[in-house]
Amino acid sequence: MLGQFWRRLMLFFGLDRATQDLEDEMRLHRKLRAEQLLAQGFPDADAQARRRFGNATRIAEESRDTWFWPGLEAVWQDARVTVRSLRRSPAFAAGVMLTFALGVGANAAMFSLIDRMMLRPPALMRDPARVQRVYMYRSVDGVESGTGGQYARNADIARWTTTSFSAVAMHAARQLAVGVGQDAREMRIAIVSANFFGFFDAPPAAGRYFGAAEDAPPSGSPVAVLSHAAWQAQYGGRPDAIGSTVQIGAVVYTIIGVAAEDFVGLWPLRPPAAFIPMSTYSASALGPQWQTTYSSSFGIGSIARLKPGVSVDAASADLTTALVQSYRAEGRTEERLTALRPRALAASVLLERGPDRSDVARVATWLGGVAIIVLLIACANVASLLLARALSKRREIAVRLALGVSRTRLLTQLLTESMVLAACGSLLGVFVATGMSAMLSAAFLPGIDRLSVAGDPRTLVFIGIITVVVGAFTGVLPVLQARRLALTDDLKAGARAGTYRRSRTRSALLVLQGALSLVLLVGAGLFVRSLRNVRDLRLGFDPESVLVVDLKMRDVRLDSAQTAGLRLRLVAAATRVPGIQHASLQLSTPFGGSSEWPISVAGVDSVNKFGRFEFNAVSPDYFATLGTRILRGRAFESGDLGGARRVMVISEAMGKVLWPGEDPLEKCVRIGIPAETSPCRYVVGIAEDIRSRGFTPKAKYFYYYLPAAQWHQQDGGLFVRVAGDTRSSIEPLRRRLQEEMPGSSYVTVARLGELVDAQSRSWVMGATVFTAFGALALVLAAVGLYSVIAYNVAQRRQELAVRVALGAAAGDVMRLVVGEGLRFGVTGAAVGTAIAIIAAPRIAPLLFNQSPRDPTVFATVTGALLLVAVIASIIPAIRGARVDPNAALRAE
Amino acid sequence: MREEIPPGTLDMLILKTVSWRKELHGFEIAESIRATSSGVFVVEEGSLYPALQRLLVRGWVVGEWGRTPDNRRARYYHVTVLGKRQLERSVESYSRVTRAIADILDPSPSRA
Repeated sequence: MLGQFWRRLMLFFGLDRATQDLEDEMRLHRKLRAEQLLAQGFPDADAQARRRFGNATRIAEESRDTWFWPGLEAVWQDARVTVRSLRRSPAFAAGVMLTFALGVGANAAMFSLIDRMMLRPPALMRDPARVQRVYMYRSVDGVESGTGGQYARNADIARWTTTSFSAVAMHAARQLAVGVGQDAREMRIAIVSANFFGFFDAPPAAGRYFGAAEDAPPSGSPVAVLSHAAWQAQYGGRPDAIGSTVQIGAVVYTIIGVAAEDFVGLWPLRPPAAFIPMSTYSASALGPQWQTTYSSSFGIGSIARLKPGVSVDAASADLTTALVQSYRAEGRTEERLTALRPRALAASVLLERGPDRSDVARVATWLGGVAIIVLLIACANVASLLLARALSKRREIAVRLALGVSRTRLLTQLLTESMVLAACGSLLGVFVATGMSAMLSAAFLPGIDRLSVAGDPRTLVFIGIITVVVGAFTGVLPVLQARRLALTDDLKAGARAGTYRRSRTRSALLVLQGALSLVLLVGAGLFVRSLRNVRDLRLGFDPESVLVVDLKMRDVRLDSAQTAGLRLRLVAAATRVPGIQHASLQLSTPFGGSSEWPISVAGVDSVNKFGRFEFNAVSPDYFATLGTRILRGRAFESGDLGGARRVMVISEAMGKVLWPGEDPLEKCVRIGIPAETSPCRYVVGIAEDIRSRGFTPKAKYFYYYLPAAQWHQQDGGLFVRVAGDTRSSIEPLRRRLQEEMPGSSYVTVARLGELVDAQSRSWVMGATVFTAFGALALVLAAVGLYSVIAYNVAQRRQELAVRVALGAAAGDVMRLVVGEGLRFGVTGAAVGTAIAIIAAPRIAPLLFNQSPRDPTVFATVTGALLLVAVIASIIPAIRGARVDPNAALRAE
Repeated sequence: MREEIPPGTLDMLILKTVSWRKELHGFEIAESIRATSSGVFVVEEGSLYPALQRLLVRGWVVGEWGRTPDNRRARYYHVTVLGKRQLERSVESYSRVTRAIADILDPSPSRA
């Protein structure tokens, strides 16, 4: 069977040679026959031989038919004919291929992004459809938010959900310092329970994974498993890496194994360098009470494998019951439990498919749809062009039909043409996709390796599928047209009669293109305005000039006074670095983390009804450092120390909500547990409001400030204000501050702007990609309109000539042609507007302070579309106006 | 008296002819079949060449270009191991068929 396949393949590629052989062989046969007949005394031996031999061409064809799978040769021939005919019209071929390349490329790029975010199951995971990620929620003051990062909580869940799950594993991924001294570097480390590995079919490449005994209380074993990549990069793949030790965070671990080559756990985009036991890390990070404390966490999550036959809904119900039980175990009263309304659910193991998916993923999904629309427009264009070609070839086709070419053969030929074009376009599309994918991932998935397009089988299969689909889709219209051919009419009419007929299909395609372009451009407009709204928003601080310094203490333990001393030394050191204007202590970072404590104000029974109150404990230079303006009163001063009068600065909104109509200055706010009996802190200043929780906070937040010297928590970092470029100051600052750090502790320096950028990424993505795709769509639609109008003008030559002969001015003819283009534009705009208005509510949640039915956007886009319609029809119009009635009519 | 070659037997006849004479080119095959069947079967060239190509593709014969005794270029065919096996199989099934036909035409009870 295989041999036969091979022989056919060889024949196929050696087609000319094999054909030649066959011809030689048959010629010899005829010659020998003729000689034989001559010897027998026939006079016209040659003719006789030829007659006896029969139709040589037919025999050769029948013989060759045996070489191939049925029809394959015909397809090959069609392909060759197509290539030859396309070479005769290179502009058409290039235009169609480029159109396909852009459409296919855009889709492949979006697919490679969406696939990695939302479709592809974690590598090597066993039966990923049955693996669920656990989500937990609880309500505070009626506002529900996510929770469940604690070890104890996840352990409770695992313990009390045995009816639904056959296994529950904990996982977390953190940036931890690996190594000591100069070699220490922050790497991504996966912290997992021992049974995490059991979720995968990934036998270790060397050594072994850690087992339950090494991930057990009280403190776990200090053992680590390297990722295959880290083993290669850090240890050169040497076997003696196993058994060596490495410090990760505060603990020195012994390497016991190397993970399977493609094993990246749940983190394909940012693979971890090593895997360490959950117990070991928890014990070092959370203190001796790590197993039972519900008050500290490091972002632990759980994955669980559903037992056979258990539905996701049943599992979610089971999880909720377990969560309630966990809150009881924590000691919450029933009354409190009612208010907390704990809720848990199981969802896809892919984060971006679950309830917590990011705005970037949401926008990416939309853009995937947009890419498909661009492809649709591209297809409509190509279909329209092919249709025009088929129409112009109708006489040729009619002749061929009359000569007995089978209709099927004709149709396959037309289809082959579109398939060849689609295939060539897709080939180009791979390059387009590679470029676009690089830009997309650099902009929206920062810090990850480039996404491969040409080297990724899933993306290539996707490209293959859409190639066939667009090839079939664009080929089918001309085919339908050809089927309708009325043979005798076309033969009779001849090529020149050229009675002007509008193709209704082409008109419909044009209107569709116009409508879809308008929809995309409206989307682009909405995102561009959203982005502008985001950019114009006063955050209450200047993220672009500020660096955030974080302290990573590792195994260095300092008491509160020592920490306070260290932080003051760091502030002093920072201000001496060239280019640094101000430095301040901080406890939390806007857009980053937050601190909340109970507060109480005389005359207000519960401040929580207003929203949530967050604060920052800062040193006097804070407001100058962040650029937050003091509206009234004063900022903190060097005299606001521990023993002095307790003071605070509040935000404007906080003053308005707590003391409506009154002057908040010198009012008393009590902060502590319990708040009511804590000492008074007096408002000495009012600062402008800040956006502490990003652009789209889920609740109402109010912000206030305390002097760091009057607050007991000292575990924060620094803010540093830089004159000029923040990036170039990062490294000098880090070096200088590192000198102050004791032992293996270290500092990290990052731009505050990065945190803000990360949150505005979805709008940047929406605005740029929507605009790019929208512009692409408009260009495609314009080309489509131009080609149809130009074609129609060519078809109407005689009619226009008659008009000119009867006295129509050039302007009349132009008005006629441009009017036709404009009618398409108006119809398309009307249909598109209707679609956009209907679709508007769905996109609203992704916008920022922006109505999805903004009349300005709609008007601008409609105007642009009509303008493009006029421009696209003006060249054919000029050509139409220049028709020489003499020449055109004489040609008749 | 000329007869049609029974449908489905041409491949077998070609294989048999070629394997018997070791090596033949197309014209020789046609002539050999005619001569051996005493002129009953005349292979139409229109079916000989397609059949030969079929046998080539299936790997039952291989063709090699050689020279005829009077020094003309010709493709000589010979039967492969696969072809021999195929020939045995078809001869076997063919004799079963002819026996069965003979039995029907001449139902002598002695054969029981």
